[in-house]
Amino acid sequence: MKRSHQETSSVQEAPSISTNKKIKLKEEDDNMDDELLAALGYNVRSSDMADVAHKLEQLEMVLSNDDNAFNYNNTVHYNPSDLSVWAHTMLYPDLDPTRTTPSDECTTSNKRIRLGDSAYTESTTTRPVVLFYDSQETGVRLVQALVACAEAVQTENLSLAEALVKRVGSLAASQVGAMGKVATFFAEALARRIYKIHPSSVAAIDPSFEEILQMHFYDSTPYLKFAHFTANQAILEAVTTARVVHVIDLGINQGMQWPALMQALALRHGGPPSFRLTGVGHSEGIQQLGWKLAQLAQAIGVEFEFKALTVERLTDLEPEMFETRPESETVVVNSVFEFHTVLSQPGSIEKLFATVKAVKPVIITVVEQEANHNGVVFLERFNESLHYYSSLFDSLEDGVLLPSQDRVMSEAYIGRQILNVVATEGVDRTERHETLVQWRKRFGLAGFVPVNLGSDAFKQASLLLEIFGGGDGYRVEENDGSLMLAWQMRPIIATSAWKLRGGRG
Amino acid sequence: MAGSDQVNLIESKTVVPLNTWVLISNFKLAYNLLRRPDGTFNRHLAEFLDRKVPANANPVDGVFSFDVIIDRQTNLLSRVYRPAHAGSPSVTHLQNPVDGEIVPVIVFFHGGSFAHSSANSAIYDTLCRRLVGLCHAVVVSVNYRRAPENRHPCAYDDGWAALNWVNSRSWLKSKKDSKVHIFLAGDSSGGNIAHNVALRAVELGIDVLGNVLLNPMFGGTDRTESEKRLDGKYFVTVRDRDWYWRAFLPEGEDREHPACSPFGPRSKSLEGLSFPKSLVVVAGLDLIQDWQLKYAEGLKEAGQEVKLVYLEQATIGFYLLPNNNHFHTVMDEIAAFVNAECQ
Repeated sequence: MKRSHQETSSVQEAPSISTNKKIKLKEEDDNMDDELLAALGYNVRSSDMADVAHKLEQLEMVLSNDDNAFNYNNTVHYNPSDLSVWAHTMLYPDLDPTRTTPSDECTTSNKRIRLGDSAYTESTTTRPVVLFYDSQETGVRLVQALVACAEAVQTENLSLAEALVKRVGSLAASQVGAMGKVATFFAEALARRIYKIHPSSVAAIDPSFEEILQMHFYDSTPYLKFAHFTANQAILEAVTTARVVHVIDLGINQGMQWPALMQALALRHGGPPSFRLTGVGHSEGIQQLGWKLAQLAQAIGVEFEFKALTVERLTDLEPEMFETRPESETVVVNSVFEFHTVLSQPGSIEKLFATVKAVKPVIITVVEQEANHNGVVFLERFNESLHYYSSLFDSLEDGVLLPSQDRVMSEAYIGRQILNVVATEGVDRTERHETLVQWRKRFGLAGFVPVNLGSDAFKQASLLLEIFGGGDGYRVEENDGSLMLAWQMRPIIATSAWKLRGGRG
Repeated sequence: MAGSDQVNLIESKTVVPLNTWVLISNFKLAYNLLRRPDGTFNRHLAEFLDRKVPANANPVDGVFSFDVIIDRQTNLLSRVYRPAHAGSPSVTHLQNPVDGEIVPVIVFFHGGSFAHSSANSAIYDTLCRRLVGLCHAVVVSVNYRRAPENRHPCAYDDGWAALNWVNSRSWLKSKKDSKVHIFLAGDSSGGNIAHNVALRAVELGIDVLGNVLLNPMFGGTDRTESEKRLDGKYFVTVRDRDWYWRAFLPEGEDREHPACSPFGPRSKSLEGLSFPKSLVVVAGLDLIQDWQLKYAEGLKEAGQEVKLVYLEQATIGFYLLPNNNHFHTVMDEIAAFVNAECQ
């Protein structure tokens, strides 16, 4: 029987040929991850295979000799994709766990090879488009009409698009549940595009109102809670010995993330550090927020300093504005749903990265929507966002009965994002979400290396979800050192952490 | 040595490629951490360690996938894998009617000894994608509820729900006879689930054309010769098998329970039933092979059609990586088995 693969009957590593990959040079081979294991989610360099096997053997012996092997339940695990590091930290739990790949050099060079070789940008960058169906006939017809309308817009067949958008409108009105609501927002967005209703009227909304919407979203879904929680965990782990912690929040909003961090700092073993918070935003309420946080800080016994930085856009930020005191303080940069906003202008992300680097943070915590809503082709963006927001709306629908105001506001909060993704272009289109894979490339190119979030954060985030009780469909997922919150197996947001290559921490 | 925790590492290393050894050993060690002696399971750590992949409606190597909710009450999800035809599917084409006179639909139950893994685990996502190309089939991978949080019969109930769902999808009907051509398949605990769902299907009148059981998980109260001989030698111990049965079977039950021992003293006879034909794959270095062989024998004695594929030198998990002969042998057998009716 003909086979297109190599057959092995012996012990040695079997080279395998999978149909779509190019054949590489031998030298590159050894530095590359074993392809077969990589396809299953494990990164082990071919040249490390024997060493990893040896570590696993040792680990086996340690585990079986130790009657209290279940002490390992208290061990914090990091990045189970990297077997070499995982096995190492299991074997030597008392040593300071390296939470990034052991050799940053190799990581970069791997990434460079990967970026240059299109064979490696395979399926993880072909953005997963996921949809689930409620198996309702009308739901499917609605989706079909929406997509047909988007296609008409893409091909600039505006009269057809106009007819279809009206049809969508009437179908959506008769569709109950999440699908109907999502469709209504998408129809509105398409209509704005068709009738060329200028987005500037959408953008010119009172930022305080935007914050109120976000607060309702915070209250009624676990997404922001998860974001804040996991980011705070990473921050806490990065500042364990700091005497002064200076957090720069690139989007302070209502400051909902910080009371919990302050409480945790207050309870720190050995006493709390001083806490300095610089909040970047553009609403008038920031100063007042600072007062409220100061009151909390006083109540819990944490020395506190607050500064508001009001800027139009994040690229207006200059390092001097933060007035960091490098000799005495540990700087943290935090961004929840902010980084993607600067992608609307060329050169902006580079400027922001440069500003962040200049303040020399020990850690940068980043939470972003896990979706590619920044594609160049309108139709692709439309399809991607349709799926994403369908999932998001579905999660709102499910589970605990929400107070109607919370739900309506949350829907409005999400709806504004939909309008932005679908109906706007150019600098006004600020909701330029990208996936973790895409962000990893950007951060890597900018000179940052990942800081792995560990099993502790994972477990606590999972427990938080159970307590929140928002429905059975939420799951936390670990992804190569980052944590994602998924709804019905679809990742919705991702928390990652970064530090400067060669930096301390 | 029988019953001992000492594992003979050197032996297992000589029979599989090194990367396979690393993969399966890693699973073994990670799983050891998760099973607590009191019968509870460290689910959070299990989920943290499990490598997962999202569905992808953009075809990769000719296959695309998407997730469906089968039952909101039990939060039962499944991942559907389909062959891609010319042009990427768009949103609306995910549930296009299948294109063919006869299109097999394989309802797949992943392994994990009833406690581990998910439909979106990377190892099973990869395997299901292979099955699509191999069998020119649609594959529906069921994310059934797991032990110990959900004991017998939850997994079977979920399997049954998925079977019903598949059977009632108009877009999965083959052109030839406007019926859905269903196969059940699974590895390890998934094989066990496939058998039990087939039993229910026979009873309640859904046509299943065939069962594919890869290293199916069966057992009993006796200690068989293979269990004694191979205990601890090739990644698996009798002790861990016992733990998983205790976690899955109803509280207080022993391994004579028909879910564990389908041809044991407490099970019903299959004689005279129109049970689907079965392909049973047994790995020669799997310590539960005597139970698996007994299963195949039992089917035969009950007058059922069964093909046994016995791979002398194969360990558990050989079908996860395409780097060994057994893998290719079995893939060919599965393709032949499923496509037999497509001639």
